[in-house]
Amino acid sequence: MSILDINKRNNEKQLRKTIWVYLILSVVAIVVDKVYGIFGHGVDSAAMTWMFLYPLLGGALFYFIIQRIIPYIAKFAGCRVFLNVHNSGIATLTLASLLKGIFEIAGTNSPYLVYYYITGGVFIAAGLIIMLIMALNQDRVHL
Amino acid sequence: MKKFLSKSYRWAAIYSIILTGAVTFTMLDTFVLPKSIANTSAVSVSSGSTVTSSSKETSTKTASQSEAVVTDKSYQDENIKISIETVRKYDSNIYIADIQVSNPSYLKTALANNTYGRNITATTSDMAKDNKAIFAINGDFYGFRDGGYVLRNGVEYRETARSGNSDALVIDKSGNLSVVQEGEVSLDSLSAKGAWQVLSFGPGLVVDGKIVVDSSSEVGQSMSSNPRTAIGQISERHYIVIVSDGRTSESAGLSLLQLAQELKERGCTVAYNLDGGGSSTMYFNGEVINNPISGKSIGERKVSDIVYIGY
Repeated sequence: MSILDINKRNNEKQLRKTIWVYLILSVVAIVVDKVYGIFGHGVDSAAMTWMFLYPLLGGALFYFIIQRIIPYIAKFAGCRVFLNVHNSGIATLTLASLLKGIFEIAGTNSPYLVYYYITGGVFIAAGLIIMLIMALNQDRVHL
Repeated sequence: MKKFLSKSYRWAAIYSIILTGAVTFTMLDTFVLPKSIANTSAVSVSSGSTVTSSSKETSTKTASQSEAVVTDKSYQDENIKISIETVRKYDSNIYIADIQVSNPSYLKTALANNTYGRNITATTSDMAKDNKAIFAINGDFYGFRDGGYVLRNGVEYRETARSGNSDALVIDKSGNLSVVQEGEVSLDSLSAKGAWQVLSFGPGLVVDGKIVVDSSSEVGQSMSSNPRTAIGQISERHYIVIVSDGRTSESAGLSLLQLAQELKERGCTVAYNLDGGGSSTMYFNGEVINNPISGKSIGERKVSDIVYIGY
């Protein structure tokens, strides 16, 4: 089975649902930052303050743009794989930002943090490649 | 496999488990799991002419200690003189120790469990008791970070400088304090110039008799008043140590500028901020003098190291 196989089931609904989930996750990220700030004794961290941008821009806005510009990719079987890979990337980067914030506020660091950013970046890059392959094969959708 | 992972939520569930495991490990590694790197009892370095160790000296020390005049707030023998004053200022309880020693070797540092490593901790009072300290404060909590010079009792443990313009405190073999920027000088060269202790927290509060912090200067991004620990030097072998309570309804804590002002008012020409917050602890003659906070309650936090006065 190729990612370019046409899926009988349409993933459009899934795409719309994902946008809403990411908007909610962005709000959750902001709330987490505010609640953590209460216990931070006045110390804050830019990494934690801005972590909501990953789900907001990399999730909600990204999928909104896809829905507007290349909605036909939802018809490919590979769309599910793309969603899985891209979502994993955003989740990893958001968690990396949260951990970095926790460590900065505590005044410490971790040598493992870089692996989160690398893993997240690899997932995002892989997702974009899958998306690009599907986007460049628009003609298959009309077969 | 591909079909298996293409199922909705199956990938999400598996990856969530992997991420949860990774985060749990990272948090434990950072905050909990102890990693021993070197034992301090296995490494010792002679500090040269200024610090000597002999049976004759040991007997002198024992004699001095037995003749010491000790009260709740003071200690005096022929080599060490300590007086502690409690001041109420800035809506805070401030504990100020005036310390004079006849020999720089009486100003010492110690590591938790006599071990250098990450997450190797003990309370300031336990470390003080283990080392028979007369007076002790928390150090720089080096074991909570991967960067920052660590040189203790002449032994280099960590040569990694912190990024940016991070101040380090140097105590040389003569017992003199100075503040250096880690990015500008290597630990090796500090050691070669006679550094006996290097602590890495900061910032420097007073340098060349001038306050070098302002109202916007803080540790990390903290802009609050907090419990603080700082050490300053007035003259040869004459030091001021300040610890303030904070983060409680009884004591707000000090800003770095207020801390610097207190040290300068007492004549310090050089002064340095050590680890504060829950770490801030002052120990004297078997007891903790201040009210350290551990989380939300009163209690001592375990830290990596202490600075102490003792034989």
